[in-house]
Amino acid sequence: MKIKGVWCLIFAIVAMSLVSLLAIGAAENVAVINGYPVITADPATASDWYDTETMYNLYSPLVYPAPEGGVRPHLAAIWDVVDGDFTHWRFTLRQGVKFHSGNELTAEDVAFSMTRFIGMGRGNSGPLGQVTTTVVDRYTVDFFLDKPSVIFPDTLALFFPVEKDLVLANIKTPGNYGEFGDYGEDWLTTHDAGTGPYMMTSHIPGQRLDATRFVDYFQGWSNEGWEPDEVPIERLIFIMETDYTTLMTLLKSGDLDLEINGGWTLPQLQQIKDDANLGLASVWAQNVTVWMNSKAPPTADEHFRKAILYAFDYEGIVGPWEEFGNGETGIFLPNMPGYVPIDPQPRVQNLERARQELALSKYANNLGDVKVVFHFCGGLDFEEDIGLQLQADMAQLGVTVEVAGPPWPQYSAECSSPESTPNMTIFLFGPQATPTQDYYTYSMFAPNGLGWIFEAHWYFEDPEIIELLDATRAEPDTVKRLALYEQVQPLIAEHALAFYPYQKPTLFAHQAYIVGPSETIVFIGPSENMHMWRINLTLKETLR
Amino acid sequence: MLTFIGKRLFQSLFVLFGLSLLIFFIARVMPGDPARAALGFLATEEQVESMREEMHLNDPFHVQYYFWLRNLVRGDLGRSSYTHRPVTTDLIQYIPATFELILFATLISAIVGQVTGVLAGYFRNSWFDGLSRLVSYLGIATPSFVVAIFLLFIFSQVLKLAPGVGRLPIMMTPPRTITGFMIVDSLLAGQPDLALTALKHLILPAISLAVIHIAQEGRITRTSIVENMQKDYITIHKVHGIRTSRIMFKYLLKPSIIPTVTVMGLDFAFLMSNAFLVEIVYMWPGFSRYAVTAMLNKDLNAIVAVVLVIGLTFALVNLLVDIIIMGLDPTVRLRRGGG
Repeated sequence: MKIKGVWCLIFAIVAMSLVSLLAIGAAENVAVINGYPVITADPATASDWYDTETMYNLYSPLVYPAPEGGVRPHLAAIWDVVDGDFTHWRFTLRQGVKFHSGNELTAEDVAFSMTRFIGMGRGNSGPLGQVTTTVVDRYTVDFFLDKPSVIFPDTLALFFPVEKDLVLANIKTPGNYGEFGDYGEDWLTTHDAGTGPYMMTSHIPGQRLDATRFVDYFQGWSNEGWEPDEVPIERLIFIMETDYTTLMTLLKSGDLDLEINGGWTLPQLQQIKDDANLGLASVWAQNVTVWMNSKAPPTADEHFRKAILYAFDYEGIVGPWEEFGNGETGIFLPNMPGYVPIDPQPRVQNLERARQELALSKYANNLGDVKVVFHFCGGLDFEEDIGLQLQADMAQLGVTVEVAGPPWPQYSAECSSPESTPNMTIFLFGPQATPTQDYYTYSMFAPNGLGWIFEAHWYFEDPEIIELLDATRAEPDTVKRLALYEQVQPLIAEHALAFYPYQKPTLFAHQAYIVGPSETIVFIGPSENMHMWRINLTLKETLR
Repeated sequence: MLTFIGKRLFQSLFVLFGLSLLIFFIARVMPGDPARAALGFLATEEQVESMREEMHLNDPFHVQYYFWLRNLVRGDLGRSSYTHRPVTTDLIQYIPATFELILFATLISAIVGQVTGVLAGYFRNSWFDGLSRLVSYLGIATPSFVVAIFLLFIFSQVLKLAPGVGRLPIMMTPPRTITGFMIVDSLLAGQPDLALTALKHLILPAISLAVIHIAQEGRITRTSIVENMQKDYITIHKVHGIRTSRIMFKYLLKPSIIPTVTVMGLDFAFLMSNAFLVEIVYMWPGFSRYAVTAMLNKDLNAIVAVVLVIGLTFALVNLLVDIIIMGLDPTVRLRRGGG
């Protein structure tokens, strides 16, 4: 009798587990998406690309990155420069754009948002400088810059207007911003005041963000270009998981629909590729960049730096990654307008040439005493692989390369000055600021660039480069500007300030029933805008 | 007894003060720029400098500590430069998740560990003793995260007997937060089915954490039982023909579990800071994981706060252990004036 009771209990537990599993498996119109921890959901403080991905779903930028490069109208219908020196710009807004509250977006909202953005002085506001605003009429707003900028409209792809009245109604006082208290920062952590395709329903920072489709989104939800079964995703659940073993488990079990940060290892990518129920989408790539510190011996010597360029085994390091799109790159990513191939061409190891360069360096007679310090971000295996590859390559020339991976806080802090920056540091730069050409040139090679990890080569001595970079920011004509970018790249490459092992596509793993993106925009954010993705519920039901 | 508790709490205050001073200093000399970490990649040097001013990072150490202490007295642990929220808000969110997990893990380890230890000790040198020894060594030698991955793979992926990750299924809406304990909140919300689901989600991560402690506590209890069984008073009881079960529960068990209770207390506090790998494997939104994120992002206020919470947990749990031991061992009670 007792044994019978135990069996009944076991049966009940198993049955309950099965029922709960079946309940989870029902085909709902919802997509579970993994984004790295969203740090802030406030457009004025959003700073890195994880935040940007969220911004493109909850908010809309004033202008939108275009597939062909540059920007296109979005919240702003048209814009133009008012004066000749590019400090006064006028933007006319699209009419009838609704906030999630149902209220219409006006110039007042845009002006307030810009004042708030600049006033808080955080997030992505840095590259804009000091901007003041004037409301011309309900749909027209003027921006006044503290310095001329021909690329000002492009930089607004990271400016996401908020609803003025809603934010003002939710400010907390006292705060850091005088009469504006906290400028609504606390409230905007768990609420949104945007016009984007999705509306936030809840947010636990660092854990989970839930959003639902905004039916009145100004871009509409047309089915044109989609299959009949492919419908808009009604509900989004952004989870925040950084461990890719766990993510793989979730993907395989069907608990995760889309992963948009692409930190997969090679074996994991192969598993995903071999699984008929899963897919991989590649939209934008990151440039793997190894800076060489021009102020620290021995990389202070240009010939020594060139020797490194030629000694590196590019083909060896790409190896099995090639089938996933890793490959040739330069100062620009190859799919960017204005890309110019840089030395070494062809991208093969040339030890003979490396020896010649070493012979020209001032270390030619004491190579055995020379040590190159290569630092990568601790925990990133593919970066370590590059260091170890270089170590092996340089050993053939009699040069010692010391490879170490300090944790990110230490690693990034090292790059705060030329004195503390190791000989070589490696970073991944994705296209996260428009115009992307400016991001990969002016921001990374001009004396007034972004500094820090973006300019850990510390070389600003070539007046010709500086002049050309300044000219790119002064040239309003896009075609002429592209020509300037093409002109400056070989000059920069001539100094061998970096080497670029490969471009690394960010591969979004998804269930087969998740379809998208409908448009290829090589910029972080738009590709993760779920307005450009659909769900095939019929297929989902079948696969489940 | 009250005097003893009061005295211990007073002593704890000094310990926490020293700890705060120490960690405040260590956090500031750790490499990394907290202002840069707070502002992100595209911040300009001017913005970073302005943030340094705002965070008092350019002030001397003692001035920074003064500001921090002044705010602490007001119940303000500062803002997290990572989550952009008050650290207290973060702690309120994350601590209950970890507490729920380690309470459950401690319960499992206490029951399984002590029962195994008592049986192994009582049936010394039997096959059961040998088997428990082998399993214990295996449990001690296997890191928690390995157990976590193994259990997740076998019971969730292959056998599908247990749910996977998180405190609830991703699609499920959690109950309104009252205590932060998912099971309790579900019951308070009148949703026993949700409580059952939360309990199911708790089982694998709790076992993963408990395994090593089951092994340790089992071995300690066994040794203690063996030692006490050889004492004269037990022999006398046996000679007088007192029933084995009475000897066991009345005279042997009580003194034998004292060392285990002490270890359990330490284990509980230890888990607060060391559960992070299991929390990562199971996507458990807990305090331990928050602490590691704070360290990696050089989130100064959060670092100091999490260390203080761990310190406070150690102090309180040890106090509780002392009180329990006083209850178990009359000699300690008399020595400490607990009457």
